Amino acid sequence: MSRINDVGGMLGFPAVVEEPDEPAFHADWEAHVVALNAALLRRGVYDLDEFRDAIERMPPQEYLASSYYEKWFRAITTLLAEKGIATPAELAGELAGG
Amino acid sequence: MSATHDDAPVAARVRHVEALLEQRGWLAPGEIDERIDAFAAGGSPAHGAAITARAWVDPGFRARLLADANTAIGELGYSMAGGLQEQQLTVVANSEDEHHVVVCTLCSCYPIALLGPSPGWYRSEAYRSRVVREPRAVLRDFGVELPATTRITVWDASAESRYMVLPRRPDATEGLDETALAGLVTRKGLIGTAVV
Amino acid sequence: MADRFAPGDRVRTRIADPPHHTRLPRYARGAHGEVVGTAGHHPLADERARGLASAPRAVYHVRFRAADLFGEGDHAVVLELWEDYLEPTGEETRP
Repeated sequence: MSRINDVGGMLGFPAVVEEPDEPAFHADWEAHVVALNAALLRRGVYDLDEFRDAIERMPPQEYLASSYYEKWFRAITTLLAEKGIATPAELAGELAGG
Repeated sequence: MSATHDDAPVAARVRHVEALLEQRGWLAPGEIDERIDAFAAGGSPAHGAAITARAWVDPGFRARLLADANTAIGELGYSMAGGLQEQQLTVVANSEDEHHVVVCTLCSCYPIALLGPSPGWYRSEAYRSRVVREPRAVLRDFGVELPATTRITVWDASAESRYMVLPRRPDATEGLDETALAGLVTRKGLIGTAVV
Repeated sequence: MADRFAPGDRVRTRIADPPHHTRLPRYARGAHGEVVGTAGHHPLADERARGLASAPRAVYHVRFRAADLFGEGDHAVVLELWEDYLEPTGEETRP
């Protein structure tokens, strides 16, 4: 499917900008998302193509407005819900005393 | 960009999901911290620099690297096996008349096991969209102006291989030893958005 | 099963936009290129993304002229493509 991730050759994006002295992660939670994804892949909860697919299924406007690791976290929670590991409400923290 | 907006809510949600998964047995206690430490201790651009320097001083190694990179980097103690399974590494060598650039237009495939996390610009829509279409303009964003006679080949990591560029050895470096040569090699040089 | 293509073969990429995850970018659909290398055998991403069993099949490095992809540009782009994405063009370029 031609989805929002499929940007190769598109016109209109700006100049490429480097971040000086860029750290591997800008916040601890980003490293946690990477580790979480690795753990769930390793456990076979989903595979890498399902993970990519879950990122690509994001609504285009949200995809473009999200940071890289926000997309990852969004895909992880999408898959956890679809695989029946937890409900969307549980993942959003809306249970357990509200 | 995460650095420019308040990410406390997402940080809290990540902690919550982690706790939930740990409670339900999908994560072992301490597993996340162990993985973070392992990731930090994994790949590094220094590995690519060492491989490049060896290829510059040892034509036999260079030939083996271009023919079968996974086996060749093993000679220096490196591997592409840091992830779920070993990934195929393809090394493409710059020459006087050809320059290579690596991208993943569909997502952000990168030889993390060998080189560590990719830079943010590599993952940006700007880089991914533009470099396949107008590589000379993107190289100018990086301050690189190649002669019009240099052929450019862009490698889009669209399947299972990961790519590393073997930069050209700079002129007037005959007196440098392998360690000093490795010191000249940058991460951008290994992606193809810089010349060394 | 024998690989369908070999280096030197001229190929054309699939035009259709499948209703699921795929690893043939839209900028390279319906394009003519040349197989320049082999990249092992792997299960098809399109199938794995849908939780389907997928047998490994040949993956190739395929080189395209930028002008054939975008109508402009003097560079080349090499993509790594599963054989499912490719069909022969009938052009004979191999000696």
